[in-house]
Amino acid sequence: MSLVRNPFKTATLTIIWGWLILLVLAPTLLVVLVSLMPESTGQLNFSDLSPAVLWQGFLSNYGQLISPVYIGVFGHSLWIGLITTVICLVLGYPFAWMISRASPRLQPLLLLLVIIPFWTNSLIRIYALRTLIATRGLLNDVLMSLGLIDAPLRLLYTEEAVIVGLVYMLLPFMILPLYAVFEQLSRATLEAARDLGANGAASFRHIVLPLTMPGIIAGVLLVFLPAMGMFYVSDLLGGSRHPLIGNIIKGQFLEANNWSFGSAISVMLTMIMAFLLLAYYRSVKLFKREATL
Amino acid sequence: MQFLSSRIAPRTALVTAVAAVTASFMTLGSASQAIADDSDKVLYVYNWTEYMPDEVIERFEEKTGIDVIYSTFDSNEAMYAKLKLLDSNNSYDLIFPSTYYIDKMAREGLLQKLDISKLGNFKDLDPNLVDREFDKGNQYSVPYMWGSAGIGYNPDYVETGELSSWNDLWNDKYRDKLLLSNDMREVFHVALASLGFSGNTTNPDEIKAAYEKLTQLMPNVRAFNSDAARVPFMQGEVDAGLIWNGEVYQANEEGVPVDYVYPKEGIILWMDTMAIPSNARHVEAAYQFMNYLISPEVSKEISEYVGYTTPSLAAKKLMAPEVRDNPVVFPTQADLERGEFQTDVGDALPIYQKYWEKLKTGR
Repeated sequence: MSLVRNPFKTATLTIIWGWLILLVLAPTLLVVLVSLMPESTGQLNFSDLSPAVLWQGFLSNYGQLISPVYIGVFGHSLWIGLITTVICLVLGYPFAWMISRASPRLQPLLLLLVIIPFWTNSLIRIYALRTLIATRGLLNDVLMSLGLIDAPLRLLYTEEAVIVGLVYMLLPFMILPLYAVFEQLSRATLEAARDLGANGAASFRHIVLPLTMPGIIAGVLLVFLPAMGMFYVSDLLGGSRHPLIGNIIKGQFLEANNWSFGSAISVMLTMIMAFLLLAYYRSVKLFKREATL
Repeated sequence: MQFLSSRIAPRTALVTAVAAVTASFMTLGSASQAIADDSDKVLYVYNWTEYMPDEVIERFEEKTGIDVIYSTFDSNEAMYAKLKLLDSNNSYDLIFPSTYYIDKMAREGLLQKLDISKLGNFKDLDPNLVDREFDKGNQYSVPYMWGSAGIGYNPDYVETGELSSWNDLWNDKYRDKLLLSNDMREVFHVALASLGFSGNTTNPDEIKAAYEKLTQLMPNVRAFNSDAARVPFMQGEVDAGLIWNGEVYQANEEGVPVDYVYPKEGIILWMDTMAIPSNARHVEAAYQFMNYLISPEVSKEISEYVGYTTPSLAAKKLMAPEVRDNPVVFPTQADLERGEFQTDVGDALPIYQKYWEKLKTGR
C-alpha cells in the first residue's frame, strides 16, 4: 500500500509535520530573530528589521557573550553537564543491558519502574529530594540514629546535590534509548564471537559497543543539553550559588527583561550542541574510512 | 478506516491542518471580542493568582449587580506584557501592579490619573503607605496589600540584639549560615542600604560599590533562596538571613522559631497596588470595586486569607489583638518611615543584572 493512499499514515504525517513546523521550527526561528534584535529593556521593536539594525544587534548581543563571566558559566555548565552525562552513562548502560536480558515477562515491569517517576511532576520530585537531604532531613536523621555520623552532613546547597538531582532527573533519558538498542542486539552475533574465540572484553569492544553506539549517542544528547539548562535544579538544590547557563538565560528573560541577549545565549547553546554533533559524525566517518582501509 | 478521504495527499492534508489551526486561533480571537461588550454592569479585573477570596468577589456582585470577570497573572512582567497587547476593545478595568511597575507604567502612559475623592475609604489608609516615592500624591495607585523584607534569625543560634543592622550580616561568625533571596533587587537593596545609599539608585558607581560589598558577604551566604524562605530555616540549613515578614509570621504559626528584625538602616518595603489602565472601559465600576476592597471588613478578610498586611488602619482595628500588636505583621511608625519601597530603575536594570551575574559566578 502506498504512503499516499493510507489515510492513517497521511493523518499521522500531517500532525507530525504540523507539530514540528508550528511548535519547533517557528519558535526556533523567532528565537534566532530576537537574538539579532537590538537590546531593549522594554517592548521589542519589530517594526524596523533592516539588515543594518540586525547586524548591529548581532554584534552587540553576541559580542557580550565574549566576557569572562559568560565564558566561565559556559565552562562550568559544560563541566556539570559532562559529569552528569558520564554518571548517567555508567549507571544506565549496565542497567539497560540487564533489563534487555531479563525474562520477557519481567521486562515491561522493569521499564515501567523506570518510567513511573515521570508521572510525578519534576519540581515535586526535586522538592522531595530536598527534604531527604536537608540538614534536618530523613537521610541525616537515619545516619545520626545509626551512629554513623555525629553532626548532620551539609548536603543541600552544594554542587554535589545539583549533580545528584540532575542524574536523578535525567537517568531515564539515558536508559530508554540504550534499552532500545540492547533489545535489538541479537544474541547470535555474540555467540558467533564466542565461537570464533573472542573473550568477553573483545566481544564487548568489537561487537556490543559499536552496535549500541547509536543508543549511547542518543542518550548522551538527551542528557547533556538539558543538564546545562535545568535552572530550577541549580536554584533549589544548589541554592543558585553556581549558576548554570539555564539560570543566566532565565535571568536575562525574567529579571533583566533583555530578551535579545537571552535569546543570543540560547542560540549559542544550540550551536555548541550542533557543533558537537557535527564533530561526532565527522569522527565516525573518519573512523569508518580507516577501518575499511 | 473510511472516516478520512483515502485520496487526500499529504500536502493537501498539511494545508488543511495549518488552516484548521489558523481557524481555531481566529475563533478564539472573535470569542474574546464577543465577551467584550460595553455594558456598564461588567468589570474586568486582572490580579495576581490566589490574591483574593472568591466570597469577596461574590458579595460585591450581589451588592452591586456588576459582573466581575476575573483573570490572573503570576508576575509583573507577564501582566505588563499582556496589557501592552490589549487595545480598548478588550482592555482590563482594574489591575494590581507592584510599586516598581506603577512608576514605570505611569511614565509610559498606560495608567489613568485617579480621582481619590471617589474613594470614601481612602481616608482609612495608613498615612505611611500613601504618597510614597513610587507614586507621589497617589495619582495612579491605591494600596492593596503590603509587607516588608528584613532580617530573620533562629533564636536558638543567634542572640537577641546580635543582628540590628544590615552590616551585622557581614560578621564572620555567620560563615556559610546566611540565606539571601534569589531576587536581584532585594539583595542589592541590602548592600546599598548598608552603605547608606538608596535601594533604588541608578548611579553606576553606587551599584558597583554595592557589588563589591556583596562579594565580601558571599562566604557567609549558604544559598540564594528561590521559594518559601521559611523552609531553609525549618530544615536547619541557615541561622539567619533576608526574609519577608509574611514568611516569618507563617513560620511562627507553624511552630518554627524565627525572630524578625527591622534593621536600623531601614527595611525593604513592597506593596501591591490597584490601578486603572488608560484604556479601561468600566471606570466607574472600577472605582466602586476599589473602594469596596479597601473597606475595613473586606480588607481585613483579604489580609487574613492571603497572609499579607492590610493598608487600612480601620481594618487593622478589627483584627485580633495578637495579630494587631504583632510587630512582625505591623511595624512601628519609626520602622515604617525608615523603610524604602522599590521603584523602577529603568536603564540601570542591565547594570544591576551584570553585577548580579558577576556576583553569582564569582568572576
